Amino acid sequence: MPQINREDIPASSVEEICHATWKPLYRFIYYKVQNREEAEEITQETFVKAIPYLRKGKIHPDKYSGFLKTVALNVLRDRWRKKKRRGINVDIETIHPEVSAVGDATEMSVERIIIEKALSQLQKEQQTVIELRIIKGYSVAETAEIMDKTEVNIRVMQHRALQSLAKILKTVN
Amino acid sequence: MSKHEQQLSEYIDRLNAEQKPIEHDTISESVEIEELYSTVKRIRSLKEPAEPNSDYEKMLVQQVENELSRQKRLPRKKGMLFTGIASIAAILAILFNMFSPFTNSDIVNAMEVAFDDVKAYHGFLEIIATNANEESTTQARLEVWANRDGHYVVKGLEGINQDIVTGNNGKTKWQVNPNEKQIHRFPAFPDTYHFAFELGHEIKEVTNALSTKVIGDDTVIGRKASIVEVTPRGGQPYRIWIDKETKLPLQKQTAMHNALQYTITFTDIDFNETIPEELLSYQVPKGYQEVESSPEQIVNSLNEIPSAIGYIPEMPKTIPEGYDQNYMTIIPNQGLVKIYYTSQHNDNKLVFIQGHAISPITPVRTATLGKVNGNVAEIQSPVYEDVGILGGGGLYAGMTDVSSIRWQQDGFEYVVIGNGALKELAAFVNSLTNDAFEMQSTAKNSGTTPQFDVPYDMTVEENTQKSVDAGSSPWRLDPVAVAQVFVSLQISPDGIIGDSPIDLQDFNILAQSDAEAILEVSSNQTPITTIYLKRLIRPDSTGIWTVVGYD
Repeated sequence: MPQINREDIPASSVEEICHATWKPLYRFIYYKVQNREEAEEITQETFVKAIPYLRKGKIHPDKYSGFLKTVALNVLRDRWRKKKRRGINVDIETIHPEVSAVGDATEMSVERIIIEKALSQLQKEQQTVIELRIIKGYSVAETAEIMDKTEVNIRVMQHRALQSLAKILKTVN
Repeated sequence: MSKHEQQLSEYIDRLNAEQKPIEHDTISESVEIEELYSTVKRIRSLKEPAEPNSDYEKMLVQQVENELSRQKRLPRKKGMLFTGIASIAAILAILFNMFSPFTNSDIVNAMEVAFDDVKAYHGFLEIIATNANEESTTQARLEVWANRDGHYVVKGLEGINQDIVTGNNGKTKWQVNPNEKQIHRFPAFPDTYHFAFELGHEIKEVTNALSTKVIGDDTVIGRKASIVEVTPRGGQPYRIWIDKETKLPLQKQTAMHNALQYTITFTDIDFNETIPEELLSYQVPKGYQEVESSPEQIVNSLNEIPSAIGYIPEMPKTIPEGYDQNYMTIIPNQGLVKIYYTSQHNDNKLVFIQGHAISPITPVRTATLGKVNGNVAEIQSPVYEDVGILGGGGLYAGMTDVSSIRWQQDGFEYVVIGNGALKELAAFVNSLTNDAFEMQSTAKNSGTTPQFDVPYDMTVEENTQKSVDAGSSPWRLDPVAVAQVFVSLQISPDGIIGDSPIDLQDFNILAQSDAEAILEVSSNQTPITTIYLKRLIRPDSTGIWTVVGYD
């Protein structure tokens, strides 16, 4: 990430703050929501909330990134709470552990190992369907063609595979 | 394939397309499916994040700057609020930067913020109908007054209701017909029709929509506006024009239904503190005949009631949590007392009715059962039949968004009726009866799953729901009618000619919640004994029923 010095950047420069910080912030949010549309939306909302504080000069530019991630987490939590208030009966924060959105490379690799280990415990066909559908992003029709199954089979298979994975990951967590 | 398998697959598809899944904003029906969504996201985190579009950084800076600039201007708002009757439009012009581009979420927020400052408004509406050949005709012109409490007065200026004035002050609804020199009086609730393009209602619809998308700019009656496409939770997408200056809706264009599309425009609107009192008070004009369609009389205090109806009514010890008591009425010739409440949470209306029990409760066949202090409670959702004191002073039966709970105790009959979800009514009854009310749980009642599953296609269901939302096939909202058609088609797969082989009387609801219903079939015409139904699209009184299994 580019280094930001207080002297280099006027406190009021939105453009400079965004330019220096948006990429890691966007990636951090993306890990949480796993889609571009929402990540772009939340990145914007985070800057709108955070920049008035950053402009006051109370936070050292070296800490901008950490501060922005904290604000982003609060934005995400607010959204989840709002959803909960509207009737959801599950504590989303407990099933979206912080580890899934870590920016730190070490923690990310721990998370990666956990998921890969969980995946390896699935049956071969289930591993393939998860890889094709979720990691490679193929459609149901394409996956069905590659695996020589019907589309209904693929949907049923991915559902079962994810049920098994959720169970395994719960045990690990 | 189960519903969850389909939902999960669609969720993965949305993420693969880098789009926000609907499930990130809406309530999921089970913990399990939420866990599966979370698992999908964790697996996906093994991939590199998708990069935004190349111009994202530029757009981001611009949008953040615009939003911060808008927020900076907001503090001026309080100091500049006008007093007395004045146009809010000019004030809002200063508050907001009219040239700032909207994002989808901004526009909804901006409307809500702007409407927060509106106490009442007065305007002129033009309704234009356009047919499939793009031929347009002015259907009506109306003058409207409305306030935040849902009270309104509407006068027809042109069209079939020309010169007719309709008003609702929350206590009475009335309609003045100068041509016949008559004034008709109705109960204030339920009010099946307010007026088209009521601002509070429109903004609520946009807020609750599945998605909104700014699709362009336009000029309406000389004002700059953003065009927003709104996809509601049911029904076809429609367009709404938002005034760039006031951030409030100016015009709406419905989807094309039955080869007709309506465009409703505020040709003039100004914002005020109140609706003039003389307009909102119910008065019989000189020389007019009063046609009494509502026998209710408003009373000011409990003291007035015993002499009029012969008993001291039960009053809740405290107002149930989450509700405001509005007013009380009596119907002397029926000995009924009605207390009206409004839910603080969502403005739903509830009425608590009581009177002498004339005969023991015989629940209607379409009702489910519950208990209050061990006494039978009849639950209708929606209300099919006005029985006992339920029909007292209001027409509730046949209105799809009205539910009721009726019970008797110590020689009296009680009813709670309202347009909220059944569980909201149940909570209210529990509050009134000190937690003595018990509603049957569908799951508890069934104990078993169907012997035979009936497959369904969610796309077909979604389309049917849209069609019902547009006014077609209202029978799909009635679990008994849906069950009757299903059983009849099992007997006559090629279609039903003439009367149905199974009578409605042969169905009895064993259990019903907002989302599920189980019906017993008592007919020797069919081997089917039990029908299982679900509301697959929307678990509320506007959701269609679908047969998902049978024994």
